Amino acid sequence: MNKRRMTAFNLVRGCASILVALLVAAVLIFISCDQPWLALRYLILGPVIDFKGGASFNLMSLYTIFGSMIPIMFTGLGVCVMFSANEFNLGGEGCVMVGGFVGALCAIYIPMPAWIHPAFCVLMSMLVCGAIMLIPSLLKVKLGASEMVCTLMLNYVMLYTVKHFLTNVFADRSKGQTQTAQFLSSGRITALVMRAKFTWGFFVALAMVGLMWLFMYRTRWGYTIRMLGVNREFSRYSGLHVGGTVVLAQVIGGMLSGMGGSIEMLGRYTSFKWNSLPGYGWDGMTVAILAKNNPIFVPLAAFFIAYLDRGCQLMATYCNISANMIDIIQAVIFLFFTAEQFLSGYRQKLVVKSAKEELLAAEGGAKA
Amino acid sequence: MSRFFSMLWQTAFFFSILRITAPILFAALGAVVSEKAGCSNIGLEGIMMISALFGALFAYWTQSWLAGVIAAMLIGALVAFMIGFFALKLKTDIILAGIAVNMIGDGGTQFFLYLFTGMNGNTSGLTTAKMLIPTVRIPLIADIPVVGEILSGHSVLTYAAFLMVLVLWVILQKTPLGLNIRAVGENANAASSVGVSVLKYKYTALMMGGALAGLGGAFMSMYYSQSWNVNMVAGRGFIALAAEAMGNHTPLGAMLSSLLFGLAQALSIRVDGLPGFSSDIVSAVPYAITIIGLAAYAAIQKTRAGSAHRIRAPKSAR
Repeated sequence: MNKRRMTAFNLVRGCASILVALLVAAVLIFISCDQPWLALRYLILGPVIDFKGGASFNLMSLYTIFGSMIPIMFTGLGVCVMFSANEFNLGGEGCVMVGGFVGALCAIYIPMPAWIHPAFCVLMSMLVCGAIMLIPSLLKVKLGASEMVCTLMLNYVMLYTVKHFLTNVFADRSKGQTQTAQFLSSGRITALVMRAKFTWGFFVALAMVGLMWLFMYRTRWGYTIRMLGVNREFSRYSGLHVGGTVVLAQVIGGMLSGMGGSIEMLGRYTSFKWNSLPGYGWDGMTVAILAKNNPIFVPLAAFFIAYLDRGCQLMATYCNISANMIDIIQAVIFLFFTAEQFLSGYRQKLVVKSAKEELLAAEGGAKA
Repeated sequence: MSRFFSMLWQTAFFFSILRITAPILFAALGAVVSEKAGCSNIGLEGIMMISALFGALFAYWTQSWLAGVIAAMLIGALVAFMIGFFALKLKTDIILAGIAVNMIGDGGTQFFLYLFTGMNGNTSGLTTAKMLIPTVRIPLIADIPVVGEILSGHSVLTYAAFLMVLVLWVILQKTPLGLNIRAVGENANAASSVGVSVLKYKYTALMMGGALAGLGGAFMSMYYSQSWNVNMVAGRGFIALAAEAMGNHTPLGAMLSSLLFGLAQALSIRVDGLPGFSSDIVSAVPYAITIIGLAAYAAIQKTRAGSAHRIRAPKSAR
């Protein structure tokens, strides 16, 4: 089968799996809702169209979607790098939490000029999260311990450690809720559209998308990471530095998640008050799956997830249905998007068709 | 500090270790049987959440705890079958299929709870005495002074969990089913070449694992916390994966490492609230111990493999 037809097939399959997910969503809506069409309208069109007083384009809502794309773009990029190397590091969730916390502390306690301050905070959280990801990666490389189980446990360790420091060391006792003191105004990341929480972080994320694409597809290290994912034994025999690359991939992944956590924290909030894992790590995994581990598609995938998430929230506000439906939609996308044998019958037909065409062309060539 | 130690020497503490270990043990046994067939089921966490919810709901609808437990088992097996369908039939990466199930376990359960009951977050309003798994007083043992207080008076499922260790060992080691499951896991091609249906045994093992994790879920919602609530499983399914790895992929080993985590968690509950202990740090301890245990186990495996290699090395040199 030629390359163009293969690409077309992959595209069709991707769209089909998204369609299946939306179909599942529709079925759930029809089961659970008295006004299914209204709910569907909010889910599909609600995020960009305002239905109050006719239908008009809703720019503010679009900005809100852009705003909520920021953290999942970072975690998505991190997962892209780690999954490309076939490293199932699931620590993004904890890294977002720690990154947000470290960023917040730097923004509160280390005064600096306004220009450097946010950058410094983000850099510190990147360093800390990168260092934390040394634990699972070194355990994997040196001892062969599963990075997956290790990072699943590490998420809880990070959560409770942050909670400990939040409640016992850095809590602002004057507030009713457990939270830190306010960030210094110099440390905050400025918003372009305040109400939508659409901050400069969005453009930092886009810049990182470009950088990570260059890293993955135009550098030796990126090539090694991708080779590891394709065939680890082959990489080892051809003399690539497998251990070092595994560590590199996981540390970069941790740094990106930490970066996302701190940029989200400094852009969206004025003090740190997360008391459970925020969930961006898992969303990042869906983003990476949708982007097929290619950084360049991360913004598109993040937009799709953020759009659906907003749709689910609007649906929950106006109809009698739970916003948690987004998790089911994501799960279905997860299951079908990576299913190699999904639509395999159709692929078989395409292969046969291509082969026949080639045969015909060859015969035609022989006759002439 | 003396208060701390006197607390540890109470029978209630040892009683709580067994109680806390049971759900982890169920899931760890589920991990053992799936892993034996060569399937890493990381969806156990989600399966526990889903079964916990539906177990409690069925128990409420039928007003019978037994129906709830059976429903939880069936739902667990069904979800595991779904993982199998995607991983084995449609060739989704089994890790990703597991993550998908965990997503459903996290947010999807809340969706279903709202769909079926209109409630948000927990089912504590539904709980009645008939729905809770009953406790058993074991006739002779209960009368022995210290041992009786520790071993008697647990729920039916707690005993079932420890009994399952034996049952699973017998199934895996002494029956054709177990032999085939192990054969499929160790070398699928070899098993297939002698006419063993690889798919059939992979599905069977996955579903057995799912049913076991389902029992763990039922234990959580119908005994341990007496209702279903958000994040109630709190990583026990993941800890079970670590327990399975540390337990050298055997039922007995999984039991011992589950007991270790049970001990860590029981300790953290005990010291919580004592002056000088931060409850958050204490909550992190069981997870941290899991990482250390995992690393220690991997290190031991590595040195073993290394020494085996050294013994072989001179032979090849000759």
